[in-house]
This record gives sequence, structure tokens and C-alpha cells, in this order.
Amino acid sequence: MQKKMLTKTISVIIIAAFLAIMVFPFFSILVTSFKPSSEIFGKATAFQVIANNPTLDNFRTVIDKGILNSIKNSFIVATLTTLYVVSVATLSAYILARVRFKGKGLVLGLILSVSMFPQMVVVGPIFNMFYKLDMLNSYFVTLAYSSITLPAAVWIMVAHFKRIPISLEEAASIDGCSQWKTLWRVIFPVALPGVFTCAIMTFIAAWNEYLLTLTLNSDKEFQTVPVAINALRTQFSILWGEITAATVVVVVPTLIIVLLFQKQIVSGMVSGAVKE
Amino acid sequence: MRKKITAKQAAFLLPLFLLLSVFAIYPIVTSAVYSLFDYRTNDQRVAGLYTSTNFNAPLFVEDCGYIAWFLEDDLTLLDDADQKELQRIADSAGELADRYQSETDVIKVSAGEKDEIASAISRLKADTLAVYQKNADIAFYNGSDKLSTIFGEMDSCLIESNFTGLSAYASLLTDTRFMRSLRSTAVFTVISVFLELVFGMALALIMNKAIKGIGAVRTTALIPWAIPTAVSALMWSYMYDGTSGIVAKVFADIGLIASPELMLLSSGGAMTAAILADVWKTTPYMALLLLAGLQIIDRGLYESSKIDGAGTVRTFFSITLPLLKPSLLVALLFRTLDAFRVYDLIAVLTGGAQGTETLSIYAYKLMIGQNNYGYGAVVVLAMALCVGVIAFVFVKVLGAELVKDD
Repeated sequence: MQKKMLTKTISVIIIAAFLAIMVFPFFSILVTSFKPSSEIFGKATAFQVIANNPTLDNFRTVIDKGILNSIKNSFIVATLTTLYVVSVATLSAYILARVRFKGKGLVLGLILSVSMFPQMVVVGPIFNMFYKLDMLNSYFVTLAYSSITLPAAVWIMVAHFKRIPISLEEAASIDGCSQWKTLWRVIFPVALPGVFTCAIMTFIAAWNEYLLTLTLNSDKEFQTVPVAINALRTQFSILWGEITAATVVVVVPTLIIVLLFQKQIVSGMVSGAVKE
Repeated sequence: MRKKITAKQAAFLLPLFLLLSVFAIYPIVTSAVYSLFDYRTNDQRVAGLYTSTNFNAPLFVEDCGYIAWFLEDDLTLLDDADQKELQRIADSAGELADRYQSETDVIKVSAGEKDEIASAISRLKADTLAVYQKNADIAFYNGSDKLSTIFGEMDSCLIESNFTGLSAYASLLTDTRFMRSLRSTAVFTVISVFLELVFGMALALIMNKAIKGIGAVRTTALIPWAIPTAVSALMWSYMYDGTSGIVAKVFADIGLIASPELMLLSSGGAMTAAILADVWKTTPYMALLLLAGLQIIDRGLYESSKIDGAGTVRTFFSITLPLLKPSLLVALLFRTLDAFRVYDLIAVLTGGAQGTETLSIYAYKLMIGQNNYGYGAVVVLAMALCVGVIAFVFVKVLGAELVKDD
């Protein structure tokens, strides 16, 4: 009995330490965002929790510098990506989960290897392609996101379609439903939770994308959150007040998404990785 | 039972294929082609993929124009005979220009044409310099120095093939910067994935037992995973900052580093910083994947092992680990590949300074920073090869099951 108590205590301590470590950086950022510059760099005040003269100036400055515009860009780009990637993934995953055909293993292998390839391979050629087609600095960057989001989306959808009993379609096909109608009217409603999971995962992946936006959209007007926030660092000075304030602002949308959709996120994370 | 796919079903797959072809397969193939050329867009002689000799006609026409114009300026200072000679040279430069006037871009030329152009340029050069040499005592408006510059540029109008074949791959072996970044990448990958595995496993085992409060832990765990890497790296770079960073201060206070500034400015410190930030961000992901794997293990097995009198350690190694192996391998594979191609984190935290330059950072600097697409593609494909080897080891040697085609 005593041993059990000990294990439990250790478990609680580990979990508590884990939670503390996970939360601490956010706490530290939040605290700093209300400090004026003099207090952030002052020897005596740098590590003080509560600012002597709390201020909202940092937030005002980053809003003036257009952080809201980059949040808007991120929303536009992530939403567009989610819309087309989920549609394309649903259509193809339905076939990949249901139809047996020659070369299917090859198709699955191709999708898998695209997801494993270093993203850096596509950056140079895609930059040159966008340059030639005059698509740099625009929302066309969302098309380039397909190389990182599409394979994972297809993977999630295939896993979900496989869980739906095939008898459902057999019944539909006996009733004379076409393939398209079967997918749209019979399967899609049942698969909706899976589609939703896929959408959330795609949205987060697109929201977090850094490399392609950095390369293709150098114009501030079209920068997304991860790129814009790093542009706040200038060559000669690091304005931590502004950076921490901007971080607080941009973490809020992510926080909301995680709190609302944690079940879908966990299910999306493990589909494909865990065999049931 | 293998069926043929119907046209209608194939149409469902069409959008996927289109997107993957344009944004994944085409770029990969293009990178492979780039890697065979000395392709640098900031140097006009190698700013394209040339398999044969090419001729920069617009530049040539422009240069001929300059020569004729410069010569006419100097004409009046000479005596009659030399004036005639110089006029003749200027006219022939004009004729050469006329011949290629209609070309608007770099054109392909045959070996014969190449020789013809080359000899025309050298004749023009020799004739001009002869006149100037003869009248070395005259102070010309332009003189032979200015003209030599233009002749030099004219020589570069003939563009030799920049096809290098596989030789750039061989130069990787002697490229110390490549070797250094390969080593940094390997160090980063091995250490961070190992730490993530240990911490992730511990957390997963605890979360699998405790039911109360697991929701809160899971939510908290998702947040670092869900925020952009570029943002979390920025948060950590604040905490590592020499004057205001709390982590740097604590590390200096307990004596791990000599002073807070060294956190990001010493080679050991910078790599440690990058690894810690990565472990912070991805341990929760690992824990949740392993937890999902643990949850599908039949609880009855644990009960029977308890009845048989097996201890906790014994149970872990004989029941949990073997049954967790499939999920464990897949999780490890994904994490290893992710760590191996790390870009955002390092780019934001150190920019590749202090021995933290990974392969992705090096390749990006080559391609986007120096416009050296040829060699950048070589580095990137060497990286892809490593990724292939890692995947092969996991799938074939360790037996990770990725594609289940039933």
C-alpha cells in the first residue's frame, strides 16, 4: 500500500512539473508584455513578476505595426487551404479507402513519401515557378501549402473512411445510388466528424507554416503571423516588449482553437500513427 | 482480388494528382535537374540551365553599340589614315550588332557560329587596340582602358554549357560546411528525439493510469504543439536572452554557463538551447501518440501479469513495450524526420550561428540567400537521401508499419 502511495506521489509531482514547464514560457511572455522597455532591460526589474509601471503601450505599438493585418492574412490563407485541401482529400481518400485497384500501394506510397520529403526540396523550384508566373506576394501561396498539408489530410481521411462499415454503401448501391451520390448523401454525413478533424489539422498546419510564406511573400502586406512576428526583430535592437505583446495577441487564436477542438485534434494526431 | 479502377473513380483522384504533381513532384524533379548544373541566378553566365553553348545576343548588341559610339568620340583626334581605320572598325561593330538586332533573349548557337562570333570579337579587339597603340601619345576621350572593359564584357556574351553532371555531388564530400551541418543536424535529431521519447513515455504511462484531471493535462499539452514553431522559437529566444532572459539567468546562476550572454553565443549553449526548445514543443505530441498506443492495449493482460506476480518493470518490458512497438515506431519515425529537417526553430533562435547550422538552414542560405540553386539543390537532395535512409531503417530493419493496404 505504501509503495502505491509513493508511485502516486511521484506521478503527481511529475505531472505538476510537466504542467509548470509547459505553461511557464507563456506566463513569462504575458508578464513581460505589460512592462515598459526600461523595466525589461533594467537589471533590477528584468526578472520582477509584476511591472512597477504596467503599460499597454507594447500592445498599441504592435497593432500600429499591423499585427492585426497579418492575423487577417493568416486567417485567409489557412481558411482557403483548409477548404480546398479537405475537399480534395475527402474525394481521393474515399476512393483510396474503398476501391481496390492495381497500383494503389504505389499511390499510398507516393503520398507518404511526399509527406516525408524535406520541405526544403520544393522551396527553390516553387519560388522560381511563382516568380515566373508573377504570383509572389499574393494569396496564391495557399496553393503551395498543398505540398505540406495534403498528404496528412488524405491520411486522416483514409483512416476515418475505413472505420465506416461498407454495408452502408452496399445498401445504397442496391437502392440504385451512384458513386457520387453515395459519397455525398450516405458516407459524407457519417464521416463528418472525420472531415472536421481533418479540417482542424489542416487549418493548424497552414496557420503555422513559416518557410513558404517567408520565401514567397516578402511583402509585409501579405505576411502571415509566424513571419510577421519575426520581422519585429530588427537588425540592431530586439524590442522584447513589442515581441512579447505580439506573441500574446497571436497565441490567443491558437488557444481558442485548442480549447474548443481538443478532441478532434487528438484524434487527428493519432490517426495513421496508431493501428486499431 | 484486384479490380480495375473505373473512369469515374479515377476522376475522384484527379485533383489530388494535379496538386501533388504541380507542388510536390514537379519541384522535386526540378530540384534534381538543378543539381546537375552550376546554376546561379546572380551571374548571367550561369543564370540558366545550358546544355550547349549559348549566346547572350541582347548584351552583345548593346556592347557593339557602345564600341561604335566610343570609337566615334575618339575619331577626331587621329590623322586621316587612322580615322579611316577606326571608322571601318566602328562600322563593322555596327554590322555585327545589326545581325543580332532582332534577338531579345539568350539564344542557342552551334559550334561553328560560336567560333565565328569569337573570332569576330577578337578581330575587333585586335584592330582597335592596334590603332590605339600606334597613337599612344594622344590623350583620348575614352582610350583603350575603357574599351578593354567592354571587350571583356563581350567575351562573356558567349555562354558555355554549365552542365556539371554529378560532379557537384562529389564536391559535397570535401565541403566542410556541409559536413559540419550534417553533424549538427544529426546531433540535434538524436538528442532531441531521445529526450522526447524518454519524457513522452513517462508522461504517457502516468496519463494512462490517472483518470482524474487527465483532461486538463491533455489540453495543456496541446498548446505548445499547436502554436507555430516560429512563434515558440521567438518565445524561447526571449527566455534565452542575455540581459532579460529568465532561462539564461537561471542557467548562469546554477553554473551551467559562465554568463547569461553565453546561452545563445557559445556553441554548446546554442545547441542546448535549440534542443530544449524542441523538446518543450514536441514532448507533448510524443506523449499523446504513445498514450493512444497504450490505450489500445488490452487491460486484461495487465491483470493476468499481476496475478502471475510480475513486477512493474517486468510488466513494462514484457507486455507494454512489445504491444506498444507499432505505435512507438511510427511516432519515432515521424519525430525523427521532423527533427532532421528542422528549419523554423533554428532560423529564429540562432539563424544557424554557433554550430547550429542544420542542413535545411545551409540549403536555404545557398538557394534563397546566395541564389545558388544548383548547389543548394545538391545539398537538399543529399538531405532527402538521408531522410530516405532513415525511413528505410525504420520500415525495413525495425519493422514500422506505415502503409496498410488490405
